[in-house]
Amino acid sequence: MDIRTAFTRAKRGFRDDLRLHLVAVASLVVAFLCLGAAMLSVENLGRVADRWGQAQHLTVYLKEHTKQNDIAQLRLVLESLQEVEKVRYISAADAKREFAEQVDLGVDAKTLPTDAFPASLEISLSETADPERVASIADRVKRFGAVEEVETYRDWFDQMGTLLSAGQSAVAMLAVLVVICVLAIIGNTIRLAVANRRREIEVLKLCGATDSFVRSPFLLEGAMQAVAASLVAMLLLLIAYFAMRGHVEATLTTLTGVRTAFLSPALALTIIAGGGIVGVLGSALSLRRYLNV
Amino acid sequence: MSPNETVVRRSKTFFRSREGDTSQKPLLVLEDVYKYFRRDIPTLRSVNLEVQRGEFVFVTGPSGAGKSTLLQLVYRQHTIDGGRLLFSGRDISRLTERSIPFLRRNLGIVFQDFKIVPHWTIFENVSVALEILGTPAKLVRARVSETLDRVGLAGRGNERVSHLSGGEQQRVAIARAIVTEPALLLADEPTGNLDPALAIDILTLFEEINESGTTVIFATHDHSLLTTSPHRLIVIDDGRLIEASQGLRVWSARTQMSA
Repeated sequence: MDIRTAFTRAKRGFRDDLRLHLVAVASLVVAFLCLGAAMLSVENLGRVADRWGQAQHLTVYLKEHTKQNDIAQLRLVLESLQEVEKVRYISAADAKREFAEQVDLGVDAKTLPTDAFPASLEISLSETADPERVASIADRVKRFGAVEEVETYRDWFDQMGTLLSAGQSAVAMLAVLVVICVLAIIGNTIRLAVANRRREIEVLKLCGATDSFVRSPFLLEGAMQAVAASLVAMLLLLIAYFAMRGHVEATLTTLTGVRTAFLSPALALTIIAGGGIVGVLGSALSLRRYLNV
Repeated sequence: MSPNETVVRRSKTFFRSREGDTSQKPLLVLEDVYKYFRRDIPTLRSVNLEVQRGEFVFVTGPSGAGKSTLLQLVYRQHTIDGGRLLFSGRDISRLTERSIPFLRRNLGIVFQDFKIVPHWTIFENVSVALEILGTPAKLVRARVSETLDRVGLAGRGNERVSHLSGGEQQRVAIARAIVTEPALLLADEPTGNLDPALAIDILTLFEEINESGTTVIFATHDHSLLTTSPHRLIVIDDGRLIEASQGLRVWSARTQMSA
C-alpha cells in the first residue's frame, strides 16, 4: 500500500478518535517537557563546566599589611612562569567593591568589614597547564611569606564534575522513564483505538486488506502522536526559556561567566525524531498484542 | 473492465498462473465438501455445486441449515474439512493466510447486518474497497460516483451512513461490494433486516448487477423473493445440498410441518 493512503487513513483515525488522541498527546507533552527541561539544565551545566575547565585559574590570597615590594616580587616570579598568562592585583578595597557590585545583599556595602576581603593576585593560566602543573605552581607560591592561601578551585571543579555526571545520569534515567511512558501511553491509546475500530478492521479484512494495510495507519498514528507531542513540548520549552531568560540571564552570567543557551537544533530534532521512533514501536507492540487480523 | 480481467489484475500470486483457462471453467466448484464445527455433526456434508460465470443462484434453506457457512467457505472465513473448493480453477482451501486477501479482492460480500462503518461517510465506506487495491485517488472518486449512481445514491457521498435508513445502508454495502467489479458477489441474507418492499428493491438491484456480468450467489430464507425471480435455486437442508425445484418442495413441506 502507498504511504499516502496510509496517511489518509491515519488522519481519518485521528478524526474518529480525536478526544482519545488529544488526551494521549497532552500526556506525552508533559513527559517530553520533563525530558527537555532536564536536558536543557544539563546542557547549560556542561557549558559552565567547559568554560571553567578551559579557563585555568588561581587566586593567591595575601596576608594583611603585605608590603608593595613583596607583592611586586611575587608578581615578577609568577609572570616569569611559562604557563602564566596574566596576573592581576586586587586590593582589599577593590575586592569589597567588586563583591558589592556583583551581589545584592540588601545591605549597604560600606557596612561590610574590609578585612573580610583580603587582597589577592588573580592568575590566569594557559589552557596547556594540566592539573598537576597547576598544583605544583600553587605549592611553589605558598612558600612565599606574603601568601596566606592559594585557591586552585580543584574542589570546585570536582564538585562541578560530580554534579554534571549526576545530572547526566538523571537525564539518562529520565529518558528511559520517558521512553517507557511513551510506550505505555501510545500502546494504550492504540489498544483503545483498535477496540473502537473493530468494525472498520473487520470491513477491511472482508474487502481483501492485507495485514500491513490494516496495521499501517495505527503505526502512523503512534508516530504522529509522539512527534506532535515532542514538537509541542519543544515549543513550550523554548517559550518558557525565552520568558525566563530575561529575568535570570544577568545573574547567571555574573555567577558563572557563561551565557545560557537553548538545546541545539540537532538535539531538539533528535528528541522529536526519537519520539517518532518510540511512537511507532509503542504502536507496533500494542498491535502485536491486541490486533488479531 | 470485465470480471475476468479484474480477477487477473488483483490476484497477485494466486490466480496469475491460470490466466489463460479461467474463462473456460465454472467460476466456483464445490466437490464433496464437508465442514464440521462439531466433530460428530457435519454442518455441511458431501456438498457438490458448480456455479458458472454470469449465473444468479439463490441459496435457501431453514435457519442453521448451512447457507452462511457455505458462503463463508468461499471467502475463506472458514476452511473446508473435506473435499475441494475451486474458485476460478484454483483450490482455495489450500490458500495460505497471506493469500486470503487476494482471494477476497475478487469477491464482493454483502451481509444481513450491512457491515458498514457508521461514523464514516457513504463515500468513505465505498472507497475503502478501492483504496485497498491501491487505486489512484482520481479514479477512486470517479468509480465511487458511478457506483453510487448505480445503487441509487447519486450525489450523496458526503452523508454519514448512520443517518441513512436500513435500505439505504444496504445499498451502501452493495456499492462497496461492487465498486471493485468483483468476479463473484456473495450476498448473505442481504434482505433479512429489510421490509418486503425494500427487499424486492434490493433483489432487483442484485439482478441488475448480475445483468452486467457479475456472478451472484444470493442466500436467503425469504420465500417471497424466491417466487418473485426465476433464478437457479439451491436448497441446503440439514447440511446437504438439493438442487432446484425438488429441494424447494422438500423445504416447503418441512416449513409447513413445523408451522
